[in-house]
Amino acid sequence: MIAHLWDRLADAKARLDPVQSKYRVLFENPADPEAPASVLVPDPNFMAAALAGNVLPPIDTYIRDQSVPDGQPKEHPYAEPVGAMTEEEAIEYLVMKDISPSIWRDYNGNRTIMKIVPVELIPSDRSFRNAWKINQAEQEIAA
Amino acid sequence: MSTLNVANVTDGTTSVPTGYVVNGSAKAWCNVNGSGTIAIRDSQNVSSVTDNGTGDISYNFSNSMANANYVIVVSGGQDNSQGMARYSEATGSWRTYCYNEFSRDAFDGSVQSSAIFGDLA
Repeated sequence: MIAHLWDRLADAKARLDPVQSKYRVLFENPADPEAPASVLVPDPNFMAAALAGNVLPPIDTYIRDQSVPDGQPKEHPYAEPVGAMTEEEAIEYLVMKDISPSIWRDYNGNRTIMKIVPVELIPSDRSFRNAWKINQAEQEIAA
Repeated sequence: MSTLNVANVTDGTTSVPTGYVVNGSAKAWCNVNGSGTIAIRDSQNVSSVTDNGTGDISYNFSNSMANANYVIVVSGGQDNSQGMARYSEATGSWRTYCYNEFSRDAFDGSVQSSAIFGDLA
């Protein structure tokens, strides 16, 4: 029998050292263009579990569970765990899990509304935090 | 990983049903440094946090909650003049707001902590 995800996470936290990711994910909500850019910060215990493998469920179980009504059984807590990921694969997993598909999958506009960046590129001065936007000047143009 | 399947837990004198222990434990918690470059100090059952703006943080569950009727306990700030409040909750995430207690303006407190009590999915 597969242990519940919460138990697997508690076990992983007890035996794995946390891993601080060198990446952050910047994103903007196209439905709220006036809102500042958001910054997704990966959890160190979650990253450790992702890199070790055999803890986290397949990402598609989370995506399917997003359409399950509250109070109904969800698939991800008892799904067969996936193997070890690289740090880059773990960040992609987090993007699909914790950012709305309207941002990473469905957006067709011209603005860059999501970027995976090294943590050093995130300003540590938060004086004008509510004015942060993704820099469009650095957008790569496909050949 | 082994599982103990027992109905009661006892210290030799007092006995309580296991459900009291299971249902009474925090199902998720997180301690965030909200000043400078936001970072997670430690957590349980959290996959990531999202910095939405000044004093405004969302926390994403690794293991979702069964419904959105759970309890959020918050604490934090930087000194005696900062407070924290629940902002919203959903089965996949919860959101908090940190503020200056005098002006009520949003504030990036250096310690922003929360714990969740409720039923897991």
